[in-house]
Amino acid sequence: MTDEDTTDEASADRTILLIGSGPIQIGQAAEFDYSGAQACRALQEEGARVVLVNSNPATIMTDPDMADRVYIEPITPEAIAEIIRNEDPDGVIAGLGGQTGLNVTAELAEQGILAEHDVEIMGTPLDTIYATEDRDLFKQRMEAIGQPVPSSTTVSLDDGEAVQSLTEDDLRDRVDAAVEAVGGLPVIARTTYTLGGSGSGVVHDREKLYGRVRKGLRLSRNSEVLITESISGWVELEYEVMRDADNSCIIICNMENIDPMGIHTGESIVVTPSQVIPDEGHQEMRNAALEVIRELGIQGGCNIQFAWRDDGTPGGEYRVVEVNPRVSRSSALASKATGYPIARVTAKVALGKRLHEIENEITGETTAAFEPAIDYVVTKIPRWPKDKFDDVEFTLSTAMKSTGEAMAIGRTFEESMLKAIRSTEYEPATDVESVSDAALETELLERPTPDRTFAIFEAFDRGYSVAEVQELTGIKQWYLERYQRVSKAMDAAQEGDFTTAATAGVTNAEIATATGEPVGDVETQVPGRTYKQVDTCAGEFAAQTPYYYSSRKPEFYSGPLTDAAAAGELRVDRDVESVVVVGGGPIRIGQGVEFDYCSVHAVQALREMGIDAHVVNNNPETVSTDYDTSDGLFFEPITAEEVADVVEAADADGVMVQFGGQTSVNIGHPLESELQRRELDCEILGTSVDAMDLAEDRNRFNRLMDDLGIAQPAGGSATSEAEALGLAGELGYPVLVRPSYVLGGRAMEVVYSDDELKEYIQEAVRVSPDKPILIDEFLADAIELDVDAVSDGDRAIIGGVMEHVETAGVHSGDSACMIPPRALDTETMRRVREVTEDIATALDTVGLLNVQLAVKDGEVYVLEANPRSSRTVPFVSKATGVPIAKLAARVMAGESLDEIDTEERIPEDVSVKEVVLPFDRLSGSDPRLGPEMKSTGEVMGTAGTFAKAYDKSQDAIGKPIPDSGTAWIDLSAAEFPDPDTEAGQALRDGYAEYFDLAAFDADAELVSALREGRIDVVVSRDRDPLEVCVEEEVTYFSTTASAEAALEALGATDEPIDVQAVSDRPRTVKRWGASDD
Amino acid sequence: MSDAYLALEDGRVIEARGRAPGRTRGELVFTTAYTGYEESLTDPSYEEQVLTFSYPLIGNYGVRDERFESDRVHPRAAIAHEFTEDVAEWLDAGDVPAIDHIDTRELVTSIREGGAMKCGIAVGDGATPEDAKAELSECRGMSEHVDIGKRVTTVDHTTYGGGDTDVALIDCGAKMSIVESLVDRDATVHVLPYDTTPGEIAALDPDLLFISNGPGDPANFEAAETLVDEYVGDLPIAGICLGQQVVARALGGTTEKMAFGHRGVNQPVRDLDSGQVVMTTQNHGYTVGEPGDELDVKQVNVNDGTAEGLANEDLDVLTRQYHPEAHPGPHDSLGFFDDVLALTAENRNVVADD
Repeated sequence: MTDEDTTDEASADRTILLIGSGPIQIGQAAEFDYSGAQACRALQEEGARVVLVNSNPATIMTDPDMADRVYIEPITPEAIAEIIRNEDPDGVIAGLGGQTGLNVTAELAEQGILAEHDVEIMGTPLDTIYATEDRDLFKQRMEAIGQPVPSSTTVSLDDGEAVQSLTEDDLRDRVDAAVEAVGGLPVIARTTYTLGGSGSGVVHDREKLYGRVRKGLRLSRNSEVLITESISGWVELEYEVMRDADNSCIIICNMENIDPMGIHTGESIVVTPSQVIPDEGHQEMRNAALEVIRELGIQGGCNIQFAWRDDGTPGGEYRVVEVNPRVSRSSALASKATGYPIARVTAKVALGKRLHEIENEITGETTAAFEPAIDYVVTKIPRWPKDKFDDVEFTLSTAMKSTGEAMAIGRTFEESMLKAIRSTEYEPATDVESVSDAALETELLERPTPDRTFAIFEAFDRGYSVAEVQELTGIKQWYLERYQRVSKAMDAAQEGDFTTAATAGVTNAEIATATGEPVGDVETQVPGRTYKQVDTCAGEFAAQTPYYYSSRKPEFYSGPLTDAAAAGELRVDRDVESVVVVGGGPIRIGQGVEFDYCSVHAVQALREMGIDAHVVNNNPETVSTDYDTSDGLFFEPITAEEVADVVEAADADGVMVQFGGQTSVNIGHPLESELQRRELDCEILGTSVDAMDLAEDRNRFNRLMDDLGIAQPAGGSATSEAEALGLAGELGYPVLVRPSYVLGGRAMEVVYSDDELKEYIQEAVRVSPDKPILIDEFLADAIELDVDAVSDGDRAIIGGVMEHVETAGVHSGDSACMIPPRALDTETMRRVREVTEDIATALDTVGLLNVQLAVKDGEVYVLEANPRSSRTVPFVSKATGVPIAKLAARVMAGESLDEIDTEERIPEDVSVKEVVLPFDRLSGSDPRLGPEMKSTGEVMGTAGTFAKAYDKSQDAIGKPIPDSGTAWIDLSAAEFPDPDTEAGQALRDGYAEYFDLAAFDADAELVSALREGRIDVVVSRDRDPLEVCVEEEVTYFSTTASAEAALEALGATDEPIDVQAVSDRPRTVKRWGASDD
Repeated sequence: MSDAYLALEDGRVIEARGRAPGRTRGELVFTTAYTGYEESLTDPSYEEQVLTFSYPLIGNYGVRDERFESDRVHPRAAIAHEFTEDVAEWLDAGDVPAIDHIDTRELVTSIREGGAMKCGIAVGDGATPEDAKAELSECRGMSEHVDIGKRVTTVDHTTYGGGDTDVALIDCGAKMSIVESLVDRDATVHVLPYDTTPGEIAALDPDLLFISNGPGDPANFEAAETLVDEYVGDLPIAGICLGQQVVARALGGTTEKMAFGHRGVNQPVRDLDSGQVVMTTQNHGYTVGEPGDELDVKQVNVNDGTAEGLANEDLDVLTRQYHPEAHPGPHDSLGFFDDVLALTAENRNVVADD
C-alpha cells in the first residue's frame, strides 16, 4: 500500500473494525482501553460505523454506547472472522489494540480472511509492522537510511527445524558465532514477536545465554532470537512521533528513562521531557525519528527508542534501538503527559485525515499539526506486584514485571517524583533503614529492584555522596542531586524549616508525621498549592480543556491559598453543583481496570444528571484520566490532603470514594477528618465511611450478622499469636487466615496446623502491623457466590448473582465465575436475595454493595460484604446490560431507585469470567491457584451453555484447551479426589476419553516430556512440574473444579462458536431470586 | 527575606530568589523551548529584553561554549523557575542578573494576556522592591532603542568559509548558526556591520545579499533597508527573522509589533505550495503586516496566519520569519539555505548562457 492510496478516501459511511487488546496482563495494561475508547469516539466523529471487539469486559471501550456494535468475544482469528462475516467491515484498525491486536490482524491477513472479505488494513501497513518486529529487516531498513543501530545478529532455526531436535553443540556453535558478531559479552538476548519483552535480558554469562536462546527459540513466533550489542548504561529515550499520509510529521514529546539502558522502559522510572540531553542531541534524535517514521511509512502514532550518551561532541552519540509502529503504553503516557490525544489523532489519520485538518481540542485555537510545548515535569513510576510474589526475584531487566504505573506532574523533578511515589501506593518490600551499608549497596542500589528509589533516599540519609550513588546505580548525576535535595529537605524539616520540604513536593501531612508537628501548624508555615493547566503549549495560548495539576507556590508565599488563589488556573464552575470522584490509582493485582470502569461510570452518571463531575486520579493508562471524560481532571496522588485540596479549589459539594477500589476507600476516614478540619461544606456521598468500616471490622460485622440471623463461617479475629492458636483450636483445622484491610486477599492462606499458623502470623503481622488477623472456619466444597447490588437506602436491586467455578480456598478474584448461577435451587436463590437485601439495609447502604456468599448443605453463609464497587461490577453490567455503577452514582447523588427507570435483568446465555495469571512473566512464582489473588486481568466468554462459554473463556485468555494428545493426571494432592475413589476415577476416565494418559517413573522423565512438548495437558498441584508447564506453555489445571470445567468444555467443542454482539444477547426482565410466577 | 524583585508594568512587584546580582530593565518576553537555553541566552535577538523560560528547569545539561550563538549573553536578565548552579555562575560572570523560584507559569500567562511588558529587576544584597520599580520607570519600549543594531553587530568585516559563493551577511545581530549553515554549504560568508553602505557592498561584489536576524523594531535598521532597496534585482536577496522584515519594508511592505510575539521551537508553519507543515524555531516580537506589491506570502503560521515566508521569484528574493538555522529547535527547514544559495547558482547559469 502506498501513501497515495489512502489520500482521497472518504471516511463517512464506512464500517471500521477496531480490535482491542484483551485482558490486562503484564506488558499490556489499561492503556489500550484508553486508546480504544478515544479511537471509537474519533471514528464516530468522522461518521464511521464502528464495530468493536475485545474479550475484556472490565473496559470502557466495551460499553454498549462506545461503538455501533460491541463484541465481547475472544480475540482469535476464528472469532474475529465470524465478526467480519456478520458485520462486513470496510477496514480494520490494528494499531490500537497493542501487540494482541497486531498479531491477530497479521494472522487474519495471513489466513486470507481479510482479502476474502475485502477488509482493508487502515493506517500503518502490515509490511511496516513486519519491518519493525523482525530485527534483521529493521536493521536493514535503518542502515539503508544511514541510522545507527546497535550491532546485532539473530540465532534462528532453519525451515522445518524444531528446537527440540537442535543438539546442544549445534546450539552452542550458533550462539558463539552470534556473540562474536556483536563484539562479545555482555549481550542482550531478545525473542521477537512477544509481549513486553518476554524472555529477554542482558546476559553476561555464556552458559546462561545458551539456555536463554533455547527457550527463546521455542517461544518465538518466527523461531529466532536476537543477539544485540549491549548498550547498558546509555541513557534510554523514547520519542513519540506522528505522521499523516501527506508526510507531515511531528514529535509529540520525548521521554527519558532515569534508569539507564538495560531496563525495559515499562520497568523504568520515566521523565518527560528529557532533562539531560542538550538541544543538539535532542534535535539529532528528533531528525532520526522523523526519518525513521517516513522510511517505514507509518500512518498515525509511533514510538521510537534511542540510546544516547555524551561522547564529548555538542550533541552526543545515539543509536536507534526499537520502533513500535503503533499506539503503546508509552503513547498513553505521552498523551497524558502533554495533552496531545495520540490515539484520537491516529484513528483520524488512519481514515485519511491530515494533521492540520484535525482540531487541537485542548486549545481549540490550534490544530493537531503542532508539537506540544511542556512547562512542567512528568514522572512515571511503575507499580510492581512484589507484595504478591514473595518467591519471585524482582531484579528489573529487559522483561516487564510491573502490572501498572502512576504518573505525576510537578514544576520540578522533585515535586513530580514525590507525587508519583505517593501515587504508586507502594510500600518497599525491604525495610531500607535496617539494612547494612553493604546490603544497601549491592542488593538495593547496584541491583535495580522496585525498592531502589527508597534505597537512594536512604543512601543520602546515611551521607552517601552523589558520586557514590551514581557509581552504584548508573543514574545520572542531575537526577541524583535532586534525590539528595529531598533527603536534605527532610533533615531541614526536623530543624524546623518546613518550607524547603514543602516546595520540594512533600505533603503537609508527611511533614507533620515526620516532625510530630500538628498538620494545621505545618500548613500555615508553608506555601499552599495552586492548580495549573496542562495545555500542550506552555501557556502560549488560552487552553479550553479542564486538565490540571497542582504545584506549590514558591517559598515567598505562606499558608494555604483559598478561593480564587487556590483555584489558580481552574476553569471549573465553582457555583454549580459538583462532585469529586476519587479514582483507583495504578493497576495492581486486586485493583484492576474494573475500578476505572466504575469511576468513569460514576462520572458519566453525574454528568447525565447535570452535576459537574471532577476526577482525581494518577493512572495515565486509563479512560478516567482522559481530559474529556470529566468536567475537571486533577492528575494527583490520592491522599486525603490532596483530594481535600481539589474539593476546596473546585468548591465541590460531594466526594465519592466508593468507586476507586481500596485506593479510594482507604482515604475515606482521613478525608472525612480533613474535610472537617478545614470546615469544608462537602460530604462523602453514599454509604457512610463508618458503615464501610463496620463491614471490614470483623467483630462489629459478626455481631450485625448474628442480629440479622445470617450464617457466617465460625471465626473471629486475633491480635496475638496465643489468641490465634486458641481460636484455631476451637474451630478445628484447616482454617482460613488473613490480615484485615488488605487488597485482593493478600497474604490469605489456608493453614492446616499450629506450626503453619505460627509461621503465618510472623508474615502477616509484618504485612499489616496495627490490624488484627482474621481466622475462619474453612468451608470445604462449598459453592461460592458473588452478588453485586445497588441500594438507595430504602430498597436494593440486584445487578447479578455469580457462581464461582472454583471452591473456597481459591481467592474469589482468581476464580472463574459464571452468570447466571447454575447450581442453585429457587429456595437458595431466594435466600441469597434476602441476605443481600438485609445486609444492604443493615449497613444503610447507599450505592454499591458486593456480598460474597458460600452455600453448603443448603445453608447460605456470608463471607464478606463490601458496601462499595467490586471487581465484578463491569462483568455483571456487560452480562446483564444493567449499568449498576451508574445507578449507584445516581442514588449516591440523591435520586431514588424508584425515580430511575431501571429493572433487574437475567441473561439467557451463560457468561463466564476467566482470569489471566502472570506466572509466565514472573519466573519462580507458585503457579497454583490459592487463597491469595494473583491474576492481573479477566476475559468474558458467552454462549448458550456453560461448557461452551467456559471453552470460549479459555480461548480468550490465550490458553485454548487441547482436545487430543497426551495428558498427565496427577491426583496426589489433597485438593483432588483420591484416584481410588469413584470421583477420582471419573476424572481420570473423563480425560482418558480425549487423551492418552501418561505415567512417569521419575520426575526427570516428566520434566523432559514437558520440555519436549510430548504432553498437552496436565492436571496436578505439584508445584515443580507446574512451573515447567508455565515455562513451556503447557495447559494445566491445578484444581478439581477447573479440571472438571475443562472436561465439560471439551464436550462442547462441536457447538458453534456463538459470536454475537453484546446487545443481541437475550436477557429476561426478572428479579434475581424472585419466585417463578 | 528575598534578595530579588521583579517589577512589572502592570504594577505588580514579585519576590524571587536572586541567582546573579545586578539591576536592569527590559521588555519581558518568554520562550517555550525546553532545550537550547545556551543558544537562546546567546541569541542577539534578545538584546534589551528580559527572557523568561516557561520550562521550569534551566541548565540541566550544563554550559558549553561550543553551543553558543554569539560571544555573550544578550538578554538583559533571565528568569526561570529554577536555574542550575552552572547557568547561574555563567550569567553572573557575564553580569547578567538572574532570578528564579518564581511562578513563571503565572508570568507567562500574564504576558500572554497583557502582551510583552516592561519590567525592572533588582537582585542582590539590599535589593528592594523600590529598586526594581526605579529600574522599571527607566525602561524604554523596544522601538525606542534606535541604536540597538550597534550594540549587537560586528565591528569589522569578518570572513568565514572558503567556498565559491560569496555571501554578504548584514549582521543585525546574526546567530552563528546562520553563518555555519552557509559555510557548510560551501559559501564564503562575509559578516558585515549592520550599517554597511551600498558602496561597500559594491566593493565586495558578493553573489548574495543576506540580511540577518536581529533584535527589536526593523524600523531601526534603515541602513540594511537601503541596501535591499539598492540591490534588489541586481543581487539575490535573503533574510531571516528581522531580515525578512527589513526586506519587506524595503520593498513596500509594512511591519508591526505583535502582542507578545513568537518565541519557541514548536511554531507550525505551512507551505502554501506543498501544503506541508513544518515545526520551526521563532524569536520575534515584530512581524510583516502587508507584504507590499513586490512580495508574495509563500508560507504562513498555522496558528495565527502571520507571514512566515516571502518571495519574489523574478527578483530572486527569498525570506523567512522563522529561524531555519535552528539552534535551538528543529532542523526541519535547513533546506532554506540550499534554496537561497541556489538563487545565486541560477544567476551564474544565466550569466554563463549569455
